[in-house]
Formats: sequence, structure tokens, C-alpha cells
Amino acid sequence: MKYDKNSNSYTIIFSVILVVVVGAALAAVAVGLKPIQDANGVIKKKMDILSALGIESTRKTANDLYDQYILEEESIVLNTKGEKIEGKAFDIDIQKEFRDKKISPEQRRFPLYVANIEGEKIFVLPMVGKGLWGPIWGNVAVKSDMSSIYGAKFDHKGETPGLGAEINKPFFYEQFKQESISENGAYKKIKIVKDGSGSQPGRVDGITGGTITSKGVEEMLDRTIQVYVNYFATLKQ
Amino acid sequence: MSEKEKEPLFSKKNKKLITDPLSENNPVTVQVLGICSALAITVSIEQAVVMASSVLFVVATGNVVISLMRNLIPDRIRIIVQLVAAASLVIIVNEVLKAFLPDMAEKLSVFVGLIITNCILMGRYEAFAMANKPWPSFLDGIGNSLGYGWILVVVAFFREIFGAGKLAGFQLFGNSIADKANGIELTGLYKYGYLNNNFIILAPFALFCVAIIIWIQRSVNKNLIEN
Amino acid sequence: MVDYINIALKGIFSENMIFAYFLGMCSYLAVSKTVKTATGLGAAVIFVLGVTVPVNWLLENYVLKEGALAWLSDDFAQVDLSFLSFIMFIAVVAAIVQLVEMLVEKSAPALYGALGIFLPLIAVNCSILGGALFMQERQYSTIGEATVFAVSSGIGWFIAIVALAAIRERIKYSHVPAPLKGLGITFIITGLMGIAFMSFSGIL
Repeated sequence: MKYDKNSNSYTIIFSVILVVVVGAALAAVAVGLKPIQDANGVIKKKMDILSALGIESTRKTANDLYDQYILEEESIVLNTKGEKIEGKAFDIDIQKEFRDKKISPEQRRFPLYVANIEGEKIFVLPMVGKGLWGPIWGNVAVKSDMSSIYGAKFDHKGETPGLGAEINKPFFYEQFKQESISENGAYKKIKIVKDGSGSQPGRVDGITGGTITSKGVEEMLDRTIQVYVNYFATLKQ
Repeated sequence: MSEKEKEPLFSKKNKKLITDPLSENNPVTVQVLGICSALAITVSIEQAVVMASSVLFVVATGNVVISLMRNLIPDRIRIIVQLVAAASLVIIVNEVLKAFLPDMAEKLSVFVGLIITNCILMGRYEAFAMANKPWPSFLDGIGNSLGYGWILVVVAFFREIFGAGKLAGFQLFGNSIADKANGIELTGLYKYGYLNNNFIILAPFALFCVAIIIWIQRSVNKNLIEN
Repeated sequence: MVDYINIALKGIFSENMIFAYFLGMCSYLAVSKTVKTATGLGAAVIFVLGVTVPVNWLLENYVLKEGALAWLSDDFAQVDLSFLSFIMFIAVVAAIVQLVEMLVEKSAPALYGALGIFLPLIAVNCSILGGALFMQERQYSTIGEATVFAVSSGIGWFIAIVALAAIRERIKYSHVPAPLKGLGITFIITGLMGIAFMSFSGIL
């Protein structure tokens, strides 16, 4: 059968076949690989939570370590008032809710993880905020007295290297181990300061040259921790 | 009717397809193609290798596919078909990376997608694959990717060693990050005050590195000097 | 408002397409020999970025990303077509460039004379696709933010190429070592300019 490959009809038929074949192939690849990709995301989330507890994990060990230390059944979800609502902590994507303009701040949900470290109950508070150039996030672990901080870990997407980006370095986040989120049950704001008074209680030294990122961390802590303190207050009654 | 002699798989002409792009006709330093990604992701050898392998897959496979189809493609949509081939292969690479090397996929981020616009691709598809048989096209794809790849690895080699003190992720000169609270001390060269040259990790140094490679290459091979 | 200024300053200075990300280098190196051609290409880049990124933003938010198709029907709320992003973005860019070329040729022949030859070159310029991909990665929440990002990135690219062209015109009269002539010295100049632009990142 003789055909002219440059004729209109040939071109159209060729294009249609091409689109169908390519579309099908790509869809097959994407659908086939999606479960593995999703699993990767789950592992990353677990690694972040574990690191706030001071537990180092790799992609291979994350799932087991998470199951070992985190008490899934006790990990719950709170609303902005600090009241317990339906849901499993791990299912909530706070980053998504924070960015979604259709979800108002009052509708946001706050997951609370509970871990068992050598017999003591440690709470993990995940949080997200805005840095200078992009999102910042972190996990703050609180001791069983629901007040003193057990540990904290922060990270960012695109803060200035050497300046704001340093929030993910030990010298910054280790400071939080000496702090607490409340005093006598009442929420106490942690101030990130520039004047070097970080060794005083309630204060943490910010990053020199990374003022806006540091302020972003302060705001993130302030906005999020209050919700959990309200919840803890109801527990103590 | 005369018998057309079948060209041996690795004839001299075919071997040249692989060796030429390694130096004489290097895509990056001579043809000035594929520069964008050559600079941005050469912060570590691991990234350079992953990127070079991705390009190799897309160029070689694409070359073969286009070559197989070369007599079927209507002239008018030639470029579009090449773009579709490039984009599809890159999508496959991206999905595979996200599934099996998620940390790499995050670090390479948009640059995997940018392989589509990597001039090397369109250059080879149009200049070679459209006019040659599949096997030579395959070799041409391999040659050009290797030529591109070795430049990436060399630049990454220097940037990783002098910029981060690491080689493929392994700390070379000792431990550079101190964490006094957890008892991790500076060790090795860092104890004596050696600091990683952070500047090298940053973008402009990649340009200097390629410039030096060009300088050396053209001093050795005087034919390549522009007037 | 502050957000927009933030994005614009980033796009022009500290996240300059050329100096921070090296996007669009091929044509950048090829066309920067004279200021005249550089200006033409730079302007074309600003224009194409300014049109394609917002269109791709619409595509990303109403067709591609997870749940984007929900406006069609609730059944589609779980559909995630983001794996098709690359193909769709590049198709949009190629189509828009083709359209723009035809439009400009018909309606403004003088402009076509100046910009026209650059347009096909731009379709496969990494900076255009890069703009769309960055827009997708950073997930700008409004089309306004995406447009500001696009135009400011274009302006950054424009400044970079015109500055380089200006320097290259002068360098013709300097004594550059033979092996470095042309490509080599251009790389070094670009590197030095890149260092200069890095000083902007510490300002804010």
C-alpha cells in the first residue's frame, strides 16, 4: 500500500497513534511506580518525627524504628482550640493544609504523636511555617510533664546557605532542650533573640544574619504550640 | 545485483562515534551543548553520575527510537515528535528516580525535567538519528552522553572534594561538623583549622572549572582554538 | 504586596536564572556576542516567560496536580496527572511560541524583524521550561505570584545576557590567552558576574 507520509491524513493518524501509545506507556509507568513513591514519602515523614526524638534512622530502618517507639493508637489529632477530633495523626498533611488557601486557619488540624522512650511518654508536635525564601518546618518533642522540651529538629527548603539555612544545624536546635513550652500550665512563648541573651530561660539565640528565618521559626513555634498547651491543660484536669 | 556489505558492529567508523565526542567533538566544551545541567548539579559526584546516566538513557534510547521511526515521521511534525520522544523518556526516568532514589530525585529536582531541553538531545535526534540506522544512532547517543558525562564527573570531583571535603559522600579529611552536645568532635584536618571552601560548592565555581578544562583541552589540541 | 516584591527581587537578583541556576546557557553563550542581539533575545525571553508560565500555572492547577480535576466532577478528585507535566509544559511552550511567532509576523512586522528569529530558539531554551518547572515545584498559590516570578526571572536573564554582551564587546580588544578565547573566557566572566550577584542574597 503506497502512502504519502507527508499527507494530512497520514500526519493526523500518525499523531493520534503517537499520543495514544505515549499516553498509555507513561500512565502505566506512573501508576506502576506510584505505590513505591508514596512509600518513600511515608518513610521521610517517619524519619523526621524520629529525629526530633533524637533517634537517627535511615530509609531502611525508619519503618521499624517508628513502630518500635511511636504509639500509633495514642497519636491523635486536635483542632485549633486544642480539642481532640477524629483522625489518625499520621494521616494529616500539615504542610498541605498550611499552603491551601481554601482552608482557613481555624480549620487546620494539629496531629500529636506519642512516643515511648525507655518507659517515658514523649509527645511530638509537628509544625510548619514560613521562612524567608520558602517553607520551614520542624518537630518539637515534649517530655511527659507536658512542659519541658525533650528535643527539637528544624528544616527548610530554600533558606540562605550559611545564614537562615543553619536552623537545621545542632548548634541552633540543641538550644531548645533547655526550654519549656509552658509554665504552671500556662503557655509561655519562646523568644528567639538577637542580643545574645539566649542562655536565659524562655530565650533562644537566633542565627546571626538569618533574622527573618529565625523570626519565622519563632512565629511557627508560637502559633502551633499554643494549641497543644490548651490540650495538655485539659489532660491535667 | 551487488551485495551490500554489512558493516561490522564496531567498525572504525562506528568506534569514532563513541570516541569523537569524548574530546574532539565534546558536547560541552566544543559543541557548547548541555551546559545548563553540567553546571548546576555538579555539587557531588553522586548527583553527577545519576544525571549523566539519566541523559545516557534518554539520548541513547531516544536515538534508537527516532532512528527506527525515521522513515515514518511526517516532516511537518518532526520536531514535535522528537520533543515528545524526549519528554516521554525523561518522564520515565523521573518516575523511576522518584521511586528508587528519592533523595537523589529531590536534590536534582527540576534538572531532571530540564533534560528535555538539554540541547544535546535535540541536537543528536535531529542531526544524527533522523538520518542514520539504529545501531550507529545508539553508539552516537552513548558517545555523546559519555562525553557529557565525564565533564560532569570531573567538575563534580573537584567541587565535592574541595567544597565539602567528601568523595561520593564519604568524608575525606575527617569529621567537619561538631555537635558538642552529643559528643561529636571535629577530627582529622578540621581539628587543625582546615575549613571546607564553601565557595566552591556555590554555582560560579562550576563555570571556572569548565573554563579550566577548556583551557587545558585547547592548549593540547590547538585545532579547537577559536580565532 | 510584600510577597510580590520578595518574589521579584529573588527572580532578578539572588535566584537569577543564569547566575544561580545556569538555565538558558546555550543560547546565552551563543547570542551574547553583541549587545544588539543580546537585547533582542533577552526581550524575547521576558515575553515568552511572561506568557507561558501563567498558562502553565493554569494547567498545573486545573488539570495536572492531585485533585486539580475536581472542578470537572467530584469523581476526579483523586486523580493525579502530575506525571504528564513535562510533556504538557513543553507542548504548551512550543505551541505558544509558534502562535506568538505567527501573530507577531502578521501584526507587527517591525517587531518580527527584531525578535522573530529568536523565537524558535527560545522554545527549547532551558530557561523557559525551567520557569514552568520552578513554578510547579514552588507551588505559587496565585497566578499573580507565578506571573511576577516569570517576568522577574526574565528580567534577570535579560540583565545577565546584556551585561555579558557588553563585556564581550570590550574584551575583543584585550589580550586573552589563545586557548581561552571565545568560550573559555566567557565562562570565566559569567562566573565572576555570578559571584557579584551572590552578594544580593545577603541583603534581606
